[in-house]
Amino acid sequence: MPDMVFLAFLVVDGALAGAIYALVALAFVVVYKASRMINFAMGEWIMLGSRMVAAGMHAFGLGLGGALGFGCVGMVAVAMAFNRVVLRRLFSRSLLSLIMVTIGLGIFMRGSAALVFAGIPGGIARPLPLDPVVIQGVPVSPDKLVAAAIAGACIAALSWFFHGSRTGLALRAIASDQQVAMAVGIDLQRHFAITWALVGVLSVLSGTLWSFASGGGFGLELLGLKVFPIVIVGGLDSLPGTIVGAFAVGILESLTAGYIDPLVGGGFSHVASYVVLIATLCVRPYGLFGRPDIERV
Amino acid sequence: MDLRGRRGPGQAGKQQGEDCPPKPPTAALLEVDDLHVSYGRIRAVQGVSLMVPDAAVVALIGANGAGKSTLLRAISGIVRPHRGAVRYLGEDLVGLPVHRIVRRRVIHVPEGRGMLARMTVLENLRLGGFALKGAAHGKSDLERVFALFPVLRERRGQLAGSLSGGEQQILAIARAMMARPRLLMLDEPSLGLAPLLVREIFRIIPRLTAEGTAVLLVEQNARMALQCAAHAYVLQTGRVVLSGRAADLLVAPEVQRAYLGAG
Repeated sequence: MPDMVFLAFLVVDGALAGAIYALVALAFVVVYKASRMINFAMGEWIMLGSRMVAAGMHAFGLGLGGALGFGCVGMVAVAMAFNRVVLRRLFSRSLLSLIMVTIGLGIFMRGSAALVFAGIPGGIARPLPLDPVVIQGVPVSPDKLVAAAIAGACIAALSWFFHGSRTGLALRAIASDQQVAMAVGIDLQRHFAITWALVGVLSVLSGTLWSFASGGGFGLELLGLKVFPIVIVGGLDSLPGTIVGAFAVGILESLTAGYIDPLVGGGFSHVASYVVLIATLCVRPYGLFGRPDIERV
Repeated sequence: MDLRGRRGPGQAGKQQGEDCPPKPPTAALLEVDDLHVSYGRIRAVQGVSLMVPDAAVVALIGANGAGKSTLLRAISGIVRPHRGAVRYLGEDLVGLPVHRIVRRRVIHVPEGRGMLARMTVLENLRLGGFALKGAAHGKSDLERVFALFPVLRERRGQLAGSLSGGEQQILAIARAMMARPRLLMLDEPSLGLAPLLVREIFRIIPRLTAEGTAVLLVEQNARMALQCAAHAYVLQTGRVVLSGRAADLLVAPEVQRAYLGAG
């Protein structure tokens, strides 16, 4: 492939992956903004979400749409149960307890998924043919293209939800100042439940889209880990920054895979984003877009 | 002169054989009954009882640390008293979560205003009306508030954190009004504001009561508070030491000496 086309191919490929990373990162950031919780189990949520969809398809014979619906209902139920059974009781505990609880939940999800879905294949059938499409001379995988388009639509819908709906306004108020949110009559518990339900739905979507794009359930938990370089680069406090960070990480990984991997024997693309994470923290500890937490006294 | 705990309104500090003024004729909107609030071992409020009649202004004055802010926080549910009752329209509010109390249209504007600094003026106002289900009246409420405070209409797209102190206070009151309060509790609305702005804010209070909102006003500026209130309580180290008609307290020598800087 000629050089420019190769570069374009890498950038496009990375950006398409970045769209899906953005969905995952948004699920992570939404929880952080609402409650300052770091959800260490992001990968397990995605794994569980995609396994529910797979179960819907293989165990219940549902079509793709039905399986997605089934997955969403299941994950929302998991989120509500998690909020009611675990989080409500920890309401006034330290942040560290809340973070540890997410790790525990991740382990629980991994174990129970292995039990509950034993024997049910985890793959999700792709509805599209595999032949690569060539756009302006650049080969593009149609799976990735469609997956990215759907991810993009989801991000736009999320953005509309946060800025155009009453619930979205309440969630932003909670993210800004919990005390003030209570003072205007917002029910914090109910909105935490809504936030986690959103995480559930986003897990189903990103898990399914990633399965399409990467051809199989491999590495879904790795997807969860990618959140950290993304939010550090983009800033935990900024939704647009998170989206930019996701695309940046996607493109960086792709470029590394294309140019550096052949030199070092492969695998460096997985590490590259973490190198950037460390470098960013050294230079701008609040992330590229994050705001330092300075309050007017 | 004995300044110790006289309970209930309508009994001015008796001096020179004055008659007791008659009790306020309207029904009680809010009755605080022997409230005790502590922060750990610090007893901030020790057995306070007071009454706010419907659509009236009641002032709560006293020095810093007297327990006035704590009292408001206990009524609005932010802190929980360990003894006593807060009866609002007959129902005890103690133990209810903050958002439930807000939904009963008891609105607290705290000291320091409680702004959502990174959201716009308009968004702050919309949030004020959040507890009112149904957007039917949202637009007209907004228009009403903009009519009262034109400066907010001008600045509606600006981030709340970029407003001046006085504008933030106006925004805080406007936001509270969006919730159509039946009882509005203002904590130190004049704090840190230029006298001109203070006068403007105090001009708004009678308009609120004319529309049926009762106001419980905590103020260090005792003179302005007593001038605009119907009834008043004086708090000292967590206890009510004096109570009565605001007009009477305004001329009471103890009050003049301690809080009005006279003598």
